[in-house]
Amino acid sequence: MMVHLTEESLSELLDGSPVANAEEHLAGCPACQGELEALRRLRSELRDLPELQPPEGSWSRIAKQLPAGRRVRRWRRSGMIALQAVAAAAVFVLGVGLGRVFQPGVAVDDGARLERSAVQPTASLAEAMAEVRKRGAEYDVALRNLEQLARREGAPVPSLAQQRLASLEMLVEASRTALSVEPTDPVLNSYLFAAIEQRDAVMLEMTQSQESGSAVLWR
Amino acid sequence: MVDLNEADLVRRARAGELEAMRQLYERHASRVYTVVRRLAGDDDLAADLAQDAWTSAFEKVGDFRGDAAFGTWVHRIAVNTALTRLRQAARRRDLEQGFDGKSTLGNPDRWPAAAATDRVTVQRALDLLPNGYRSVLWLHDVEGYTHEEIGARLGIAVGTSKSQLSKARAKMRVLVTQSRAEV
Repeated sequence: MMVHLTEESLSELLDGSPVANAEEHLAGCPACQGELEALRRLRSELRDLPELQPPEGSWSRIAKQLPAGRRVRRWRRSGMIALQAVAAAAVFVLGVGLGRVFQPGVAVDDGARLERSAVQPTASLAEAMAEVRKRGAEYDVALRNLEQLARREGAPVPSLAQQRLASLEMLVEASRTALSVEPTDPVLNSYLFAAIEQRDAVMLEMTQSQESGSAVLWR
Repeated sequence: MVDLNEADLVRRARAGELEAMRQLYERHASRVYTVVRRLAGDDDLAADLAQDAWTSAFEKVGDFRGDAAFGTWVHRIAVNTALTRLRQAARRRDLEQGFDGKSTLGNPDRWPAAAATDRVTVQRALDLLPNGYRSVLWLHDVEGYTHEEIGARLGIAVGTSKSQLSKARAKMRVLVTQSRAEV
């Protein structure tokens, strides 16, 4: 009975390695020739297997794992919170419809105030900080206008002072929240200190005005 | 030839730019997914492996010096990631099976069988091989690794690599031939 080549020998032959007595056997054994040819064909089919496409959404899952992706999300988050702090100031600043609000007995439209102070999502911390500076400048302009109006009218408006105090309390709280995410951020730190300083100044002014019965000043 | 555009993408990816990483991913995603899918023998595992490979590549992209093409570099990371994970899985399985005596390794009778109605394509036959056999077969016959390289990467002797290759080829041959005879 003819002994055929083992799978190990056929595998060696497929790779071109010499196998003792294999050539002689192959020359007289169509079965082993066919087996070797089949293995060769199989290897060729393996190499010809098509390239595959990754599942849908693969990149999104990968991006979430990347340091860059995590950093962008963190910046976006802190940027959003920073803008929330700014929005707290804007609630006060933009809500003050100069002249209209300043008139005693005219209520502030809360809906309009909140709408105008809405925060738009930002793409980066840099954009958020630019927004902080822009809103800060608007805040200062509005305060100067209010000062002028207060002096011109010469009337005490305690409800506005209280509203301002409430807005500054919100600003302090929002700044603290932002700092819990980015505790070392210098801009947010200075923002918190400035908010606390202004809030304390308003509280002091309100206390002094109650004691003296004088008008509340804006600064 | 140096792909200037790709070199620029790599430079930007090293600087941490996510969009550059995405573009590099788009260029090489199918190549990476294909190799991990062939080695894994399973769609879900392949998706996990591809994700691990890309995450690892971008975390290490600062180490990429451009000695090879980026595609070659990330392909190598993908192979290493897949082999490492498959070895870890094999070790866990061996440990578990050591207690119940149901080890499938080296015992073709216990290999997962294709259903009678399942036309076994070359891809399907490859999936049906045990991880170790499939890895050796793919690395040697398609990726062009030598038995020495395979032995080093899989932590096995050169002789074991050769033996597994011949068994994998023989099993593939049986699976595909049976299927074609049935059609």
